[in-house]
Amino acid sequence: MNDADSAPLLEVRDLGKRFGGLTALSGVSFSVAAGETVGIMGANGAGKTTLFSLIAGNARPSAGTIAFAGGRIDGLSPDRICRLGIARTFQIVKPFPGLTVLENLRTAAMFGRAGLRDRREADAAAMAVLEEVGMAALASAPAATLTLAGQKRLEVARAIATGARLVLLDEVMAGLTATEVAQMLDTLRRVRDARRLTLIVIEHVMQALMKLCARIVVLHHGERIAEGTPEAIGNDPRVLSVYFGTAA
Amino acid sequence: MSSIVDTLLSGQLLFAALVTGSLYALVALGLNLVYGTLRMLNVAHGDVVMLGAYGAYWAFSVGGISPIVAAPAVAALGALAGLAVHRGLVRRLFATAGAGSTRLEGNSLLLFFGLSIILQNAAALAFTPNARGLAYWTEVYHLGNVAMTGNRIAALVIAGATCIAVAALLGRSLLGLSMRAVIEKREAATIVGIDVDRVQAISFALGFATAALAGALVSMLEQISPFTGFPFTIAAFIVIILGGLGNLFAGLGAALLLGALETYGVALTSANMRSVLLYGAFVAALLLFPKGLFARRARAA
Amino acid sequence: MSAVPVPAPATRAWAVAGLLGAAALAALPFFANPYLVATGLTLLMWLALTQSWCLLSKLTGYVSLGHVVFYGLGAYLVVVTWQSWPLPLAIAAAGALAALFAALIGLPVLRVRGPYFVILTFGIAELVKYSILAAEAASGTASRILFGAPDLIVIYFAMFALAAAATLLLVVVGRSRFGHGLRSLRENEEAAETLGVPVVRYKLLAFVLSAAIPGMVGAVMALRSTYFVVGQVFDPMISVTAIAMALLGGGDDTRGPILGTLFLFIVSEVLWIRAPLAYMLILGAVLAGFVLVAPGGILGLLDSRRARGASGA
Repeated sequence: MNDADSAPLLEVRDLGKRFGGLTALSGVSFSVAAGETVGIMGANGAGKTTLFSLIAGNARPSAGTIAFAGGRIDGLSPDRICRLGIARTFQIVKPFPGLTVLENLRTAAMFGRAGLRDRREADAAAMAVLEEVGMAALASAPAATLTLAGQKRLEVARAIATGARLVLLDEVMAGLTATEVAQMLDTLRRVRDARRLTLIVIEHVMQALMKLCARIVVLHHGERIAEGTPEAIGNDPRVLSVYFGTAA
Repeated sequence: MSSIVDTLLSGQLLFAALVTGSLYALVALGLNLVYGTLRMLNVAHGDVVMLGAYGAYWAFSVGGISPIVAAPAVAALGALAGLAVHRGLVRRLFATAGAGSTRLEGNSLLLFFGLSIILQNAAALAFTPNARGLAYWTEVYHLGNVAMTGNRIAALVIAGATCIAVAALLGRSLLGLSMRAVIEKREAATIVGIDVDRVQAISFALGFATAALAGALVSMLEQISPFTGFPFTIAAFIVIILGGLGNLFAGLGAALLLGALETYGVALTSANMRSVLLYGAFVAALLLFPKGLFARRARAA
Repeated sequence: MSAVPVPAPATRAWAVAGLLGAAALAALPFFANPYLVATGLTLLMWLALTQSWCLLSKLTGYVSLGHVVFYGLGAYLVVVTWQSWPLPLAIAAAGALAALFAALIGLPVLRVRGPYFVILTFGIAELVKYSILAAEAASGTASRILFGAPDLIVIYFAMFALAAAATLLLVVVGRSRFGHGLRSLRENEEAAETLGVPVVRYKLLAFVLSAAIPGMVGAVMALRSTYFVVGQVFDPMISVTAIAMALLGGGDDTRGPILGTLFLFIVSEVLWIRAPLAYMLILGAVLAGFVLVAPGGILGLLDSRRARGASGA
């Protein structure tokens, strides 16, 4: 079975975003095939989260287009884009603090691409995701009582529970200990393979990025400066000069 | 048509607009300080004005003291009340809800609304709900064909001078700088070593003091009742929303604009329209700036 | 405003208690004197108003301080069409008018967040009030005298139906997918939208749904007063009282408003007899006090008591 369709699942062309006088993104183009895991790398302020906001619909592009499964999605509302099959996590976690972990996922299962209108069906699907990510024991806990690691895991679980085909993971390892990083990495791999997800991953934790992604796109000051396999990126002179100031 | 132009060019109305505007500016100044440093919408602010007005009224009726002389004392009492409220209520509120949460803002509004109801009805119980007025310095002076009563001139001068003095204090002193820092970003202010609690207490004291002072001035100019405070609260909010939080000079301009809108609007239509204009401006200001003030600050940055 | 309580295990007990209470209220006019019936009418009115307020403000977190505007519009419609429209039509139209008003102002108004939304709704209610007052003053209408209103019993049962409808609506919405979407956007609107909840549409729908019943409540209550005063039907204290009742009760389902309404109603009836002037003051104190001491209301206190008991503390 051929995982990569002839057309890419996500195609970003000449994407640009200006906030007043500040240019966050400029002329960014890349595509992602179904089933791929692509990493986004770059210093703070490089435009990574802005890129996610544009894809997920939380902000409108100033220029360029975004196409998902063959259809234009730039300019659509976030809920519409979610129903089409894209889910994202937030760098600063946004749980529903007063709801339980299960109820958090219920929202995703009811309103995302899965669109399970019946509460029992939605809860069943939510519990399945919680099992996969190892949070089933916390199902009745109010989300506000989780640790940071737990809340990050909740963000990921919620995004998956929408039934999305493409999941945007924004620094889900940030603030985690080495053990927690390993656990998260393991969970992500398992869930991705079990559900045949396409992932785009923003990460600063380099070893996680390298292990998870087949391909990495490097952003700097809002522009794409390099793209390739982890090994190639590690040796790319432009990337090295940006990060280390020298050509290795 | 010519009567409309006559109305707009009337020096008499201009003077009235200036008086009203200066009072709004003074009240808004106080609210700016309280809301700015605390991020709590103090809807009881106008009731402090009302209490200041009653304070001056009783000083005059019972002790024969002119409202102008009583004003500083009333303001001082207001400052003490501000400190008391900060100590007693605000600290408690932070403890219950946790500083920085959005629930805090929503809850604090209901808290202050409850406070407002308490103040208004306590005043109604104590002073009866009937309107009262005092007559002080009603001699009329003429400038060209504009007739100005002494009390209005005094109100304008005192309100204006206080606004400028406080704005200067905020602009130039270290205390003022600390206050502006806390208004801008409370968390960062803590990090640079500003005693945020002390600054907030002073903001409350100064905010209540200016409100009480405005009240003393108002007692000279119009009939007061336990419910006269609320329109001042509304006016103060309009001024802050239009002028921007922490931006006192823009607030001054917005206050004068509002005073003009009200004065000329009523003159062109009827006295019944006063509240319609006020609340209309209020609703419009909020709809135009849906994020309150923060969106405007972000754009300026 | 306060955290969602863990679902009460004794839901059946609550339901039974509720049904018994409803039955008692339904039977009241048959064995009580007119004063008691009028008291019951007022209780039913507050139940309807508080439940409908909760539908918007407890579920979405958008706290409205302008709830009275729907009530006032409904009352005004009935008064203006008095003797020229059949009453059932006027009452239904009152609900429709309130809902239409909500639909018209909803989109811009619901873009405003947090405490600004609170004061905006207050401002809108006052604006409508003063506009009507100014219009009436300009047209020379002072106040109106209404003759030929239906009997107290008829009015009572009309209000009973409205209170039942408001309760039912809150229960149904609360358990529905729509209700879960509302709760989600209350907890974090941006996250909810990103998870597929159509937040703009849902907020507007909640707003419109919360308006219809107060409109009809205002219409029915207008039948009680032979002497109609605009200021009274747009009195902001009506909004405040409903909020106080809801806050007192706590939670975000029907139990809270019922508990809070009953509690405050009993308190106010006692006060009214003994110290009517102090009533407003007490109301303000209740509001302020609960915000400070028990923001979760009675239900919140019950839940924390149960939690403490369960943990053996």
